[in-house]
Amino acid sequence: MPIKAMTQEWMDAYKAAIQADPEYKSIAKDWEGSVSLVVNPDPAKNVPEPIYLFMDYWHGDVGEFVVCDKEKAESAKFVMTGDYARWKQVAFKELDATKALLQGKLKMRGDLPYVVRNIKTVNKVIDILGKVDTLWPDDNK
Amino acid sequence: MAYDSDLSFNYFGPTKIVFGANAARDVDIEMGALGGTKAVVVTDQGIIKAGLVDGITASLGGRCAGVFSDVPQDTGVEVVNAGAEFARKNGADIVISVGGGSVIDTAKGMCILMTEGGTLRDYNGVQLLSRPQTPHMVIPTTAGTGSEVTNAAVIMDKEMGQKRLLVENFNVPRMAILDPKMTEKLPPLLTASTGMDAMTHAVEAIHSIPHEPLTDGLALHAIRLLYRYLPVCVQSGSDLHARGQVQIAATMAGWAFANAMVGIVHAMAHSIGAVAHVPHGIANGILLPDCMEFNLEDAADGYAMIAEAMGVREKSMDDSEAARAAIQAMREFTRKIGHPQKLSEMGVSGKDIEKAAEMSLSDGSIVNNPRIVMDSAEILEIFQKTM
Repeated sequence: MPIKAMTQEWMDAYKAAIQADPEYKSIAKDWEGSVSLVVNPDPAKNVPEPIYLFMDYWHGDVGEFVVCDKEKAESAKFVMTGDYARWKQVAFKELDATKALLQGKLKMRGDLPYVVRNIKTVNKVIDILGKVDTLWPDDNK
Repeated sequence: MAYDSDLSFNYFGPTKIVFGANAARDVDIEMGALGGTKAVVVTDQGIIKAGLVDGITASLGGRCAGVFSDVPQDTGVEVVNAGAEFARKNGADIVISVGGGSVIDTAKGMCILMTEGGTLRDYNGVQLLSRPQTPHMVIPTTAGTGSEVTNAAVIMDKEMGQKRLLVENFNVPRMAILDPKMTEKLPPLLTASTGMDAMTHAVEAIHSIPHEPLTDGLALHAIRLLYRYLPVCVQSGSDLHARGQVQIAATMAGWAFANAMVGIVHAMAHSIGAVAHVPHGIANGILLPDCMEFNLEDAADGYAMIAEAMGVREKSMDDSEAARAAIQAMREFTRKIGHPQKLSEMGVSGKDIEKAAEMSLSDGSIVNNPRIVMDSAEILEIFQKTM
C-alpha cells in the first residue's frame, strides 16, 4: 500500500528503509549533520503550501525525521530547496542532485564541497527513497 | 561522437561579448546599455602599474565612482566586503572588473553584496539568489580563466580556513569586453600558463560526464584556436590578432566548462594549489597530458575529436590511436610554448603530492570525471608522473 509522499507516515517509512539498508551504515559513516528539504508549492500538482522536511543523519545513524515548520527546517546544517516537480525527478533518479544544484534547478544553503565529498551517502539515500512505496500528490492512483 | 538518445541538458551563457582592439575604450557606451550610471572599477595594483586602467577611467569620466585596487592574487572574504563597502559609499550601481581571475571573482562577490547587503559569509551555498544582481562588466587582462562568462567565484575565507565557492546563475557577468590590447603586455610564461588554463577548460569540458553538443562545439573550436595562436602569442606578445584569437578561445572554453564542468585535472590542480601554492594555470598545464592518459579508455572518442581539432589525426587511426596522438600532441604543445613540465620544478615535494592526492578525492570536480576515481592511490600515481 503506497504511502502519501511528504507526510509524517512517509518520513517514518523512509527512516525505517534507511535503517534497514545493509550498506547505508558503512557508506554514511563520515556524514554528520541534518538536512532539510523544502518543497516549493505547486497547486496544479496538489501541493498547495510549501512542505518542510527535516532529517538528521549522524555517522551512519539516523535521528529525527519529521515534517516540520519553516523555522526548524532552516535550522538544519544543509537546506535544499526546489520545486515539487524537481524533487520528484530526484526521487525517480531522473535528475542528478549535484547537477541540479549547479544548474540552479535546486538551491542549497550549506557547504557544497562537503556534499560532494560525501556524494556516495547522498546517492545512497536517494536510492533508498526510490524504494519507498509512495503515492505522490499528483499521482492518479 | 555519438550522444545518448536520451540526451538532455541545460545550456546557460547569458553574457554579451564585445570584441576588438581598443574595444575597452567603449566602456562608457556599453555601461549605459546595461543601465549603469556610476561604475566602480575593480582591479589590482599590477594592472594599475601596467597602465591598463587609465584609459578605462578616462573613458568613464564622471561616471567613474572610484577605483578599488586592493585585490591580492588570491582574493578573500574581507577584500570582497571592503570592495562592496567602497562601492556603496561611492554610489556605484555597476561594477567593472579589469584584471584576471582574482579581480573578476572579487567583483562577482561585490555584486552580490551591493544588491543583497550583508557580508559574504551570509551567502554560503549554491544558487541561493532569486533576482538579478548588480550589473557586472568584465575586461579581462589575461586569456585563460573564462571567469568573464561563468556563474562561479572562488573566495578564500581565512577565518574559516576554507575557500568559499559561489555558484549563482543570477550573478553571471552581463558583458565582457575582450580587447586584445589588454593582454598585449602579458609576459610569455603567464601567456603560456593562462593559455593552458583555457586549454584545460576545453579538454575537461569534452571529457567530463555532462558534456553535450553545444559545449563540445565551443571547446573544440577553442582548442583549434589555442593550438594555432597560443604559440604565436608566446613568441610575439604584440601580435594583436593572435592575442585576440586566444582571448576568444578562452571565453569559448569558459562557456564550455561552465556548462559541462571540469574533471580530474582541476581536482588535482585545486589540491596542489592549496598544498604547495602552484599557480592554477601552471598546475593545469603540467597535469593535463597525464590526466588525459589516465582517462584514455573512458574518453577516447572525445580525445579523438581533440586530435582532429589539433590536426594530428590520420585517416588510418581508430579513436584510440587518435586519442593517443592527441595526448602526445598536447605534451609537445606544452613544450613548444615553454610551459613548465614538472611539478618538481615548482618546488613541490613528495609529501605535498601525497596530501594533494587525498584532497583531490574530495574536490567537487572529481565527480564529473569520465573515469571513476575511488582511491587516492590512483591520483598519487598521476602526481608521481609529473614529478
